[in-house]
Amino acid sequence: MTEPAERDSQPGKEPKPYQEALDLIAEELYQQLRRDLDDAYDPDLDDYIREQVKKRVERDLGTEMDLRLARARRRLRAEVERGLNKERKRRKMAAAPERGRSLVRLNRHFRAQHLALFTSVIILIITGLPMKFSRLGISGFVVNLLGGIENDRILHRTGATILIGVALYHLGYTLFHPQGRSDFFLLLPRLKDAWDALLNVLYFLGITRERPRFDRFSYMEKFDYWAVYWGCVIMIGSGLILWFPDTALQWIPKFAVDTVKEAHSDEALLATLALVIWHFYNVHFNPDRFPGTLLWWHGRISEKEIKEEHPLEYERIIPEPSELLPGSADPSPQADAE
Amino acid sequence: MNPRPIKLALVALAAGLAGGWAAAGRAQAPLQTCTICHAKPDLEVVDANGRVRSLYVDEKVLKASVHARKSCKDCHFDVKEIPHRDRKPAKVQCTHCHYQGNPEGAPQSDAYLEYAESIHGQEAARGNPQAPLCQDCHGTHDIRHARDPEARVSRMNVAETCGRCHLKIYGEYAGSIHGVALLQKRLPDAPACTDCHGEHAIRKKEDPNSKVYVSNIAETCSRCHGNENIVGKYGIETEQVATYADSFHGIAEKFGAKTVANCASCHGIHDILPADDPRSSVALHNIPKTCGKCHPGANKNFAKGKIHVNPDKAEAGIIFWVKLAFTVLTAGTMAALIGHILLDLRKKLKVRRAAKNEGRHD
Repeated sequence: MTEPAERDSQPGKEPKPYQEALDLIAEELYQQLRRDLDDAYDPDLDDYIREQVKKRVERDLGTEMDLRLARARRRLRAEVERGLNKERKRRKMAAAPERGRSLVRLNRHFRAQHLALFTSVIILIITGLPMKFSRLGISGFVVNLLGGIENDRILHRTGATILIGVALYHLGYTLFHPQGRSDFFLLLPRLKDAWDALLNVLYFLGITRERPRFDRFSYMEKFDYWAVYWGCVIMIGSGLILWFPDTALQWIPKFAVDTVKEAHSDEALLATLALVIWHFYNVHFNPDRFPGTLLWWHGRISEKEIKEEHPLEYERIIPEPSELLPGSADPSPQADAE
Repeated sequence: MNPRPIKLALVALAAGLAGGWAAAGRAQAPLQTCTICHAKPDLEVVDANGRVRSLYVDEKVLKASVHARKSCKDCHFDVKEIPHRDRKPAKVQCTHCHYQGNPEGAPQSDAYLEYAESIHGQEAARGNPQAPLCQDCHGTHDIRHARDPEARVSRMNVAETCGRCHLKIYGEYAGSIHGVALLQKRLPDAPACTDCHGEHAIRKKEDPNSKVYVSNIAETCSRCHGNENIVGKYGIETEQVATYADSFHGIAEKFGAKTVANCASCHGIHDILPADDPRSSVALHNIPKTCGKCHPGANKNFAKGKIHVNPDKAEAGIIFWVKLAFTVLTAGTMAALIGHILLDLRKKLKVRRAAKNEGRHD
């Protein structure tokens, strides 16, 4: 029985913080045991019984307490750490309320469409351009990397399928979703857009001191939208004919297929250039945004930015305090459900 | 059985006996010794297959050949006695002299190595009795230089030489635009068999190293059809090569597709004919049938519009105008967008610099 001896010595060295509670419980249990033992109780061996109860309680309950305490410590630490971060953020925002407040600019439907759109377009560009520029050395490299022309064509058609899906989804969104409907009307080009463009250039040149004031969609964003609209119509229409040439040739002559191929190839280049140069500058490479905005991911725009970039929209919607949620990079699910 | 050749052979042997003994023991049998028998036009034997073979050698033919200064025994060096009795002279081995580094002064080339790797050489090595050896194409006593118009392997004669074995293909070729140009019009630029298939290194079309392997056909045809100096003289356009390379067929072929159409898929192989010939596979009324080989259900819509279309030329019609419109649209759009970007960038940097300077003053 060396074990109990060790156990006896340990509490002596380092008394447990709950030693008193253990002693109380042991005493209570001893009293109960004495009653339960009835006839078997022997006053001569009273100190033995008391000792046994105390050892059992210390062994069983003590181990249990140790485990529970360690777990509670871990949990508490994690919870308090989280709370501390939140509290720090809250106090920081309370100090500068403008910085932290944000609005939903792109809802979850819009973000999903954008995500699927750029996924498909990246696939289409990577697999399509080597076919257009087949004479360039890098084209052969890319095609080989993808595992040959057959894989390239399968991937191109996979990308095309996603793009068609996005286009159909967007039509449904525009027709049936209230936000989609209202955005569509706001995206229609107006005379103001031409004026805005002119005024913006004058501002760039330093002739005027004020930037034109944009509504929800500036003329640049409208251009992006309609460029994609036009691109989708051309690319999907011509692409389907090129995908099923034998079927198409049952109805249309060969030179029409060649025309469609030319249009597909030329519009592909136009779209790629517009994306890589224009869109990438606007959302990645311009000094205000570099290396890029995460608006496409969380869909939120800060109050400061909407005031600067879309003042007419801001004034129109004058946000209710409840719509302003803290944390521009931390969208909560309720915010999306609007 | 025709007893006459045997009789003649026996007579020849008997006649040879006298001179034969006299010639025995001499190191170099002069031409005259052999011609005792072999100069007789009637000298024939029946070989093991029952075929009659002439053993007649015209001395003038040898004298006119590249081997004019060689004597019989330079090649038939295994002939030790006359008459030959049971020791039939073996087939002549050209590589006895014609190898790289030979001291005989024979033309030095690697042609025999190329031949060994060719389908002809491999079949011969496998023991196929029908596989051609050197002399089957180059001739025996009448070997002349390939540049010599009389040579069996000269430009004008090589098709006929190949046709001795490949008779059916020779027939197809002779009726094709290439065959007519070479064999009837005697145009030296027209391709003979060897221009597409190679000379000594002829390989099967299934061999990826073959000049007529599916992936090499376009390259082989373009050696003439992409060369203005060759086909330009005859009013044939060279842009067909480029327009094919830019078509879906050409692009897929370039990137290694094996099932895609190459030149021969549409134009034919040995029976190529120009599109204005009604028998041509690319004649307008035959196009649906030709395209239908790969595109099931091809109808006459396939024939409406040029196949080798160049969108940079006005004769491409609507395709030309669509391309032009897109070029203008792309250039205009990109000019406007890039201009906008540069102005925006300039302004943004200015604003930043101003803000920075202000910060420094504070």
